[in-house]
Amino acid sequence: MAVGVQSAPKGAAKKKRRRGLRISLRQRRALHGYLFISLWVIGFLTFQAWPFIQSFWLSFNSVDMMAGFSLNWVGLDNYREAFFIDERFVPTLLQVMRDMAIDVPVIIVFALCTAYLVNQPLRGRTFFRAVFFLPVVIASGEVLQQLYPQLQETGNTLGSTATVTRGLDIPAIVYMYLPPNIAELLLNTLNRLTLILWRSGIQILLFLAGLQGISSSLYEAAKVDGASDWEVFWKITLPMLSPIFLVNIIYSIVDSFTDRFNPMLNLIRSAAFTGQFKLGYAAALGWVYFLVVFLILLVVIAVSSRWVFYAGERD
Amino acid sequence: MATDIQVQAQQIRRRVAPWVLVYRRKSEHLFFKLLMYLMLINIAFAFLLPIFYMTSTSLMTIQDYVDPAVYWIPTVFNWENFTLAYGGMNYTQAFKNSIIIALAATLGQVITCAMAGYGFARGEFPGRELLFGLVLFSFIVPPQTIIVPLFILYKNLNWIDTFWPFIIPAFFAQGLRGSILTIIYRQFFRGLPWELEDAARIDGAGPVRTFTHIMLPLAKPAIVVTFLFSLVWHWNDFYEPMMYLMKPERFTVPLRLQILYTSLNEMTGGQAGELYNEPLIMAACFLIVLPPLILYLFTQRHFVESVERTGLVG
Repeated sequence: MAVGVQSAPKGAAKKKRRRGLRISLRQRRALHGYLFISLWVIGFLTFQAWPFIQSFWLSFNSVDMMAGFSLNWVGLDNYREAFFIDERFVPTLLQVMRDMAIDVPVIIVFALCTAYLVNQPLRGRTFFRAVFFLPVVIASGEVLQQLYPQLQETGNTLGSTATVTRGLDIPAIVYMYLPPNIAELLLNTLNRLTLILWRSGIQILLFLAGLQGISSSLYEAAKVDGASDWEVFWKITLPMLSPIFLVNIIYSIVDSFTDRFNPMLNLIRSAAFTGQFKLGYAAALGWVYFLVVFLILLVVIAVSSRWVFYAGERD
Repeated sequence: MATDIQVQAQQIRRRVAPWVLVYRRKSEHLFFKLLMYLMLINIAFAFLLPIFYMTSTSLMTIQDYVDPAVYWIPTVFNWENFTLAYGGMNYTQAFKNSIIIALAATLGQVITCAMAGYGFARGEFPGRELLFGLVLFSFIVPPQTIIVPLFILYKNLNWIDTFWPFIIPAFFAQGLRGSILTIIYRQFFRGLPWELEDAARIDGAGPVRTFTHIMLPLAKPAIVVTFLFSLVWHWNDFYEPMMYLMKPERFTVPLRLQILYTSLNEMTGGQAGELYNEPLIMAACFLIVLPPLILYLFTQRHFVESVERTGLVG
C-alpha cells in the first residue's frame, strides 16, 4: 500500500505549477498516469471494447456481407439456431469444456512437479531449465499438429503407421475392462498427454518464478522447528504458491479455450467465413462462448478466495 | 568402574550417532536424488523427442522412412527434403512476411505495453484499479468473440491483405496477447522500490524522463521476457494471419505449412499423403521451428535468468 502512504500527504501540499494551468500536484500526477496508459486506452477502445460491443449487436442481426455489411434485425434467432438447430455447436461446446476440465488439472500438477524438480539444487539444472522452456519457444500450433496427427479434427486415424512419438498407445484391453465412456475418455486424455505437456511451458515458468520468490527464512524457520521436507512442502511451499496457482489455473483455462486445437475456433470461423458468411450467427456463437468462459472463470475465482493465501501487504 | 564404562559408552555413542544419522540421511538423499534425475530426464525426453524425431525424419528418404529397420539414423542424409520444403513453402517470401510482422508487432508491444504496465503500476490516478480490471478482462475475451467485428473494421480500413492488422494494434498495447505483456510489466514495475523514482524526481526528472532513463534500463529482465514471448507468439501465430491474409504472396510461414500439407495430401490422396510425405513435412516443420530455436539458443541464458528476476507473478 505504498501508493496511499505516498500520495496522501503530497496531494495536500499547496504547491502550484508556476506557469500554465493551475492544477494541484495530485492532479498533475494523475495526468502523468493517464499519459502512460493513454495508448493502451485508445487501443483498448478501438480493438477490444468496440468490437466486443459490436459483436454483441451483430449477434442479434443477420449480416449481408455482399451489400456492404447491411444489418437485418433478427432478434434471438441466431441464439435459437445455435442451441436448437445447429447440431455441431452444443456438442462442440461440451467437448471443449470437458477437455478443459481434464487438461487444466493435469497441466497444473505437471507444471508444479517440474518446476519443483528444476528448482532443486541439482547438477545440470540449467540444462533442464533450458529444455523445459522449449515449449514456450517452439510450441507452434501448426508444427505440433504435424507431430501429433491424432489431434487433427479430420479424424485422420493413423493406426498402423504409429511411430515412437505418437503419444502413448494404449492397448485395446483398456476397452474391455472399463465402461466405454470412461475408456474413451481415458484414451482421449492419454492421446493428448504429450500435447498437454507441451502446453505447460508458461505454467512451469510461472511456478518456478513463484518458488524462487519464497523467502528462504521461512524454510529455515521450518527446519529449526523440526519440519520434514514433506511437511515443508505442504505447509509452506504450497500456501505460498497459492496465488500463482490461481494465476496458472486462469491462464490454463484461457489458453485451453483459445488453443489452436480447440474445435470451437474452427466452428466459429467456418460459420463466419465459409458458405453463407453468417457473420451474425458467428458473433452469437462467439458471445455464447465468451459467456461460458467468463462463468467458468468467475466460479474459479469465487472458489479460489477460500484457499488462496496472500502473504505480506498485498492489496 | 561401572559408571566409567557407561560414560565411555555414552561418549562413543555420542561420537558415532551423528555419523549414523548422516549415513542414513545420505543414502536417503542419494535415493531421492536419483529419483529426481530420473524424472527430470524423463520429462526432458518427452520434450526433446519430437525435436529428435523431426530432425531425423526430415533427413530420411521415403525408403528409409518406410523401412522398419531404419529407426533413428537414416542410411543416407537426404538433404533434398529441405530444398523441396523450402521451395514448396516459398520460404524466402514467407519468412520475410513472418519476420516483418513479428518484429514490427513485437517492437510495438514491448514499448507500449511497458508504458501501460508502468502506468498501471505507479500511476496515481482515479480509476486505476478499474482500468486494470479491463486489462484482465481483455485477457479472458476469446479472440473468436471479437473476430467478426474486427474483420469488418479492417475490411473497411482496407487493411485486409496488409500487415497493419498485426502491427497497428501492437502499437496500442493490444494485439496478440498484449494484455499478458502489460500484466507482466505491471507486476515487474510494482516490485521496484519507490525510492528510485523519488530520487529521480528530486533530481528534477520529469515522469517521461524517469521512465526512459531510470525505469526502462532496470526493466531489462522484463524486456527480455516480453520480447521473446511476443516474437515467438507472433511467429507461430496462425489464427489471425489466416483471417486477415488472403493473397498467397502475403502468407506467413505457418500458413504456408498448412497449404503445403493440404496440397500434398490432395496430391497423394488422403491418408497416403501422411505416410509418403512425412519426411518432407518434417523438413518443413524444421524450417519453421529453426528461427525461434536459434534465437532461443542465443538468448537462453538471459531468458532463464530474466524469468527468475522478473518476479513474473509478483
